[in-house]
Amino acid sequence: MNFSMRLNMFLRSFFLQTGWNYMKFQNIGLTFVMMPFLKRLYKDDQEALPSVLQRYLENFNTHPVMASFCFGALAKQEEAVAKAESLTKFKEKVTEWTSIKKSLSITTASIGDRLFWGTLKPLTLLMALFIWLMMGVNFFEIDLPANTPFLYAACAGGAAFFVFNAIALFVKWQGLKISYQSDDTTCFGLTRFDWNKTIYNAKRIGIVLAVGMILFGIYHYLKDFKDVDVHFITRSVIVLFFVMISFVTRKLRIPNMYLYLAAVFIFNIVCYL
Amino acid sequence: MMTPEVFLLCVFAALLELDTTYAFQLTFSRGIIAAPLMSLVTGDVMAGIQIGVFTELIFADTNPLGGILPPSAVICSALSLALHALGIELYFAFFFGVAGAILFSFTEKFMRKNRFKWLIFCEQKITKKPAEINRTIVLALGSSFLMNFVFIFVLAWLCGKLMLWLLPYIPARAHFACKFAYMAVPWIGLATLVPAFRLKAR
Repeated sequence: MNFSMRLNMFLRSFFLQTGWNYMKFQNIGLTFVMMPFLKRLYKDDQEALPSVLQRYLENFNTHPVMASFCFGALAKQEEAVAKAESLTKFKEKVTEWTSIKKSLSITTASIGDRLFWGTLKPLTLLMALFIWLMMGVNFFEIDLPANTPFLYAACAGGAAFFVFNAIALFVKWQGLKISYQSDDTTCFGLTRFDWNKTIYNAKRIGIVLAVGMILFGIYHYLKDFKDVDVHFITRSVIVLFFVMISFVTRKLRIPNMYLYLAAVFIFNIVCYL
Repeated sequence: MMTPEVFLLCVFAALLELDTTYAFQLTFSRGIIAAPLMSLVTGDVMAGIQIGVFTELIFADTNPLGGILPPSAVICSALSLALHALGIELYFAFFFGVAGAILFSFTEKFMRKNRFKWLIFCEQKITKKPAEINRTIVLALGSSFLMNFVFIFVLAWLCGKLMLWLLPYIPARAHFACKFAYMAVPWIGLATLVPAFRLKAR
């Protein structure tokens, strides 16, 4: 796979989830990403292409960033399928291709969900919140200051955007390259990275930042009070009550949004009693 | 009632919503990025930051794992900012934003279930003529954009009309109750971030 082909597949991988559906998930996207590679591989055997495409149009579902490991591995295996000299060999290679597609998509989905959605996304959110608070943008207040420069918004949001995408695009590009060059002994390059250690360390940083954010937030929320008056107590009660109840609802697997909607209704009822 | 800036906001939000699933996934659709960007259209950057942070925190505990479809941060931010641009207080607008985002996830689920029938037809065409895949991708993106736009526009129009009609009759107590619940949002979100980073077996 040369550089231009890799770049083509890399750019097409941004449309992996176009046409996502509950029956075959990312099958249309996978076919779209692999199409230039398949067209080149079967350029002398155009009649084989429809049956090849049928294989790609079967079920496929994985994490959009980590999917690049699947693209490289499937491309490499497809070359082996195309070069099969006998029907028995061909069937054997197709079976291998199918098992690679299935097993690798599950593995990469698991890593991607834990790393990108479960760790990196909340971590970059915390990073943005810290930047905003340090710049003096107190988003906890309801009465907002007017004419906030856009630079304030761009700094923290931009930092979160840059950090998340720098890692995601690096993994995406390298995944495509490494998985094509590796074989099943290294799980198509997946074992080159210590994913568990990375996730573990990122979560350790995350838990420190999350606790720090709550404390920093409490300080920002209550810092303007000079005396312990009714407003101070009201604010403190809000913080304590909702922090405690969030832990409980998390245990009960009730999403935050329902807790907020319930709070709106309960507070309205309480106000009228 | 629908000002040009609100119309523009709906178009922009429909485009940003594509980033959630269908194209790029470059996190343009995250609350902390989408809302400040959309606030450029309405002109209130601070409201954009606050809505963005609150949206991201309130949906922090739901992730698109497997077939799970979390409520859209773009829809929530867009609806909240559109209603705010129409003169509705942020604490009322955010309530409609969250409800709209939940409603959108049900609509999207319905669309994904039913899109398959159309895609079977497309798959047959692709196997016969491989170049059809480009057309299928463009059509899928176009239809998703259109659905997003119609959803945001209709909901913003309906909620805006309803709130502007209701606003003079809403008592001070309801303002206080909604404000109180709105003030709780960052704390609800921050408290769930701690267990989100819980350490499992290495």
